[in-house]
Amino acid sequence: MPETIELNINGIAKQLDAAPNRTLHDALQYQMGLTGAKHMCDRGACGSCTVIMDGRPVLSCSILVCECEGKAIETIEGIAADPKWKPLVDAYCKWDAMQCGYCTPGFLTTAKALIDRSPNPSEQDCREALAGNICMCGTYPRHATAILEAARNMNSEGGGLNG
Amino acid sequence: MKQFKHLNVRSVEEASEALGSGNAAMIAGGTDLLGVLKDNILETYPEAVVNLKSIPGLDRIREENGNLRIGSLARLADIAESELVSKKYTALAQAAKAVATPNIRNMATIGGNLAQFNRCWYFRKSENRFDCIRKGGRECFAETGDNRYHSIFGGLRIGASACKTECPAATDIPDYLEQMRGGDPGKAAQTIMKANPMPMITSRICAHPCQLGCNRCQSDESVNISAIERAVGDFIMEHRDEYYRPPAKGTAKKAAIVGAGPAGLSAAYFLRRAGLGVTVFDKKEEAGGMLMYAIPPYRLPRDIVRGFVSALRKMGVEFQVNKEIGKDILPEKLECEYDCVLYATGAWKRPIVGITGEELTVFGLDFLMDVKNWMKGKIGSEVLVAGGGNVAMDVAVTARRLGAGKVTLVCLESREEMPASPEEIERAEDEGIAIMPGWGLSRVLEAGGEIKGMELKRCVSVRDEEGKFNPQYDESQTMEMKAENILMAVGQAVDLSYFGENIGLQLTRRGLIDVSDDTKMTSKEGVFASGDVTTGPDKAIGAVVGGRKAAEGILRHLKISDPKAAEAPGESCLIRFDPEGVRKTEALKLGALDGDKRSLDLEDSISPKMDEAKREAARCRNCGCYCAFPSDIATSLSALGADIVTNRRTLSIDSLYGSSLSGSTVLEPGEIITEVAIPAPEDGSHSAFLKMAWRKSIDFPVVNCAVSTGSKARVCIGAVAPKPYRAINAEALITGKEISEKNAEEAGLIAVEGAIPFEAARYKAQLAKVLVKRALLAAGKQIAIELAIETEAK
Ligand SMILES: Cc1cc2nc3c(=O)[nH]c(=O)nc-3n(C[C@H](O)[C@H](O)[C@H](O)COP(=O)(O)OP(=O)(O)OC[C@H]3O[C@@H](n4cnc5c(N)ncnc54)[C@H](O)[C@@H]3O)c2cc1C
Ligand code: SF4
Ligand code: SF4
Ligand code: FES
Ligand code: FES
Repeated sequence: MPETIELNINGIAKQLDAAPNRTLHDALQYQMGLTGAKHMCDRGACGSCTVIMDGRPVLSCSILVCECEGKAIETIEGIAADPKWKPLVDAYCKWDAMQCGYCTPGFLTTAKALIDRSPNPSEQDCREALAGNICMCGTYPRHATAILEAARNMNSEGGGLNG
Repeated sequence: MKQFKHLNVRSVEEASEALGSGNAAMIAGGTDLLGVLKDNILETYPEAVVNLKSIPGLDRIREENGNLRIGSLARLADIAESELVSKKYTALAQAAKAVATPNIRNMATIGGNLAQFNRCWYFRKSENRFDCIRKGGRECFAETGDNRYHSIFGGLRIGASACKTECPAATDIPDYLEQMRGGDPGKAAQTIMKANPMPMITSRICAHPCQLGCNRCQSDESVNISAIERAVGDFIMEHRDEYYRPPAKGTAKKAAIVGAGPAGLSAAYFLRRAGLGVTVFDKKEEAGGMLMYAIPPYRLPRDIVRGFVSALRKMGVEFQVNKEIGKDILPEKLECEYDCVLYATGAWKRPIVGITGEELTVFGLDFLMDVKNWMKGKIGSEVLVAGGGNVAMDVAVTARRLGAGKVTLVCLESREEMPASPEEIERAEDEGIAIMPGWGLSRVLEAGGEIKGMELKRCVSVRDEEGKFNPQYDESQTMEMKAENILMAVGQAVDLSYFGENIGLQLTRRGLIDVSDDTKMTSKEGVFASGDVTTGPDKAIGAVVGGRKAAEGILRHLKISDPKAAEAPGESCLIRFDPEGVRKTEALKLGALDGDKRSLDLEDSISPKMDEAKREAARCRNCGCYCAFPSDIATSLSALGADIVTNRRTLSIDSLYGSSLSGSTVLEPGEIITEVAIPAPEDGSHSAFLKMAWRKSIDFPVVNCAVSTGSKARVCIGAVAPKPYRAINAEALITGKEISEKNAEEAGLIAVEGAIPFEAARYKAQLAKVLVKRALLAAGKQIAIELAIETEAK
């Protein structure tokens, strides 16, 4: 029996019918048309479906949407639309930290949460934070480079506040 | 994912209630549960999912009276990052950080990690494809399949093993086989005798359905369980004074048992053991019933039966033989004089088939009882035996050994349907007996009152669609068999004439004494019955079980408890097998007398020697679940000596895992982990956790290890057994010691001494050895670092 719940997605309050067995990922993709978080393993093993919930990067394939009532959820669509995060997107493009691109939203979302938490991450921090994101094309070395540059740029732009 | 109801609960009580009422699962982080549901691997899909995250306050990490208390909903990321945990409970922080991936750790809770399902790929195969022991099936597929990530320290028994399930007495077969492997036939004897007081007898005559159940049948040959039982049985006979001791304390209650066959003798043993005064009455000259009079001595030597009876006598069981109830003593009198009476009078009566000339034939049981009288060549040169069960085989072989030139056995059943056990059919054929399945008896051919033979008719089916005995014949297909003697072994009936006109007990529709299934009490208070008199002709082991159940029923009725029966079996210990021994494919064959040496009263087969029996016991796979429990957290908590607090009790982490179906823990329905409590480490004690996985992030441990040093040192290895494994001998080695390269190395060596890995998982023992060493050195190093800081401060 679907129940109507309220979510806050990328800063906008949304109501939706949440069938008990529906994952957050499926709800984003099929009910809200947010196809950025990718469907890959569907078992918590690849990170492609990463979204940020109450500030933490989590796996939307392994969360029931009916348990997200009242949570603030950020998806790649929100990050991409926010000028504050343009340096991150730009750095990813500049360093070509993607090949087929399927895993990229997951990486980027995880990276965003990392910079949120530690605006000056070390390379080791980047590696650790992204340890659960899998890229079949093997783009791994480029992510840290992109993130470090993005962080630098964002900091020099005055914390990126006025982006 | 299939549909379910979803419940947000506000308190542990509410959650427990929701879980208790029906088939429900709880969800914490959901990282394991949702995978399980998506793959649909549970025997029953939950109707409801109860959300624990809606319970406030369960995710706290705090110190209380110096001890660490972590709420079950605390997330692994928070535990890994907690300064308190990292500093004092290092192994836990390191383990938390080693679990899965950062994003999973943001969701996964400590309670969910501890209660996660195991990762055996047979278990996890989607749509529940492998009905393994962990799911209530009969076999562990990993034991013979791909087991490179499985246990290297033994398994857990989940429910009853396949062999035990098939044993009518439910003997703890794998347990006594393990005891035999351990070189302790005395323990094995005790294990068997909990279920069956006469293994020296049953091992020789039982059709051993346990062996048909044995999981080895799927790959090669069943473990020769009966041969091992026989070695134990002979061992018991050799030490009978020890195994049939009079009870330490008697009671004033008295029981009378009518009939000294397997049911009566079994009941006598269990009643006497519990302290009752027991008197067994039998109309025959010697006790033993069918064991003594019907089963031929070449299968069961009389002296073995006599030995068992005399052991019971020494235990204090009184035997009154040559006493016929109904003639010498009336049943009413017994029922008056004794606190309880058990009728175990068997099935000895000749059934009437209803063919012409039947009166000229001989009842098979009479023939067996009267073999001596047939010694003088009376048997004739051509003999026909009717019947397809074990009694018919006994009759046919006996006739042959008496000198009959040609013995033919006819039975209604087709060869596959014959009720006799395969060994007995084989024995009969070995002796040249011609078996003609699928023929029924039509009429006796006679001339002037003298048997000439039998006319047979084709039997086309024995049972009707409902499985009831209802033979159908093709009357047009007949044949004549010449015979001088016809021996009828087509069953035995129950004779209740000793009760006189008025039996006074309720009977079944088949004319058997009606009893309650588990207590064996008849319709009359205090009067019991068991064995063939309640079931019709059955296997001896059936009667042994009937006798045991009657004894239990009588004890319950008299409100007497048997202290021996109360001895609880060892629970949730790891079970072991012999990795070398299980590779042997051929079963032990019993030695046997050469064909020309076989006779009527020498036992055909030869008991195995104790070491042969021990080797055969080594073929037992010890069926259980051999998964490797993959939690990193559990290993670290075991090294820290943590307690698991639930809404019902507090358990040590080492007793959290046990033999439950599907789940990994011993938690009961509705039981919820609420907190993990970790005692503060003593001064100077340090802990460390290390993990080996194929990929550092994401992958489950292939092996992990957590240690703590000091006076309560612990060495715990994970992912190597269905529960965290404590290397007790390594703990002893390092207890109270400072860690050095040398003792760390040695601790690693001895930690894996007890490993019994599957061939493909041997490498895990090597990994474990190295991890133990390195974890100890890592814990040791912290001491060094701390000292350095202190000196600096000074
Ligand atoms: C890709 C992947 C990799 C992983 N790698 C590792 C690893 O390396 N090491 C490791 O240790 N684990 C690993 N795991 C397992 C992971 O750690 C567990 O899934 C997680 O810890 C379970 O926590 P949860 O809160 O998500 O539990 P859930 O999925 O919510 O629950 C798991 C089980 O526990 C029961 N349960 C939950 N809470 C309680 C409670 N309070 N009391 C009683 N029962 C409860 C649930 O009913 C369910 O049966 C991995 C999982 C995935 C998906
Ligand atoms: S190891 Fe356990 S879970 Fe795996 S097949 Fe064997 S019984 Fe089943
Ligand atoms: S292998 Fe051992 S435990 Fe398994 S069914 Fe056979 S006898 Fe029983
Ligand atoms: S799709 Fe969610 S982790 Fe792979
Ligand atoms: S870019 Fe193709 S999977 Fe990562």
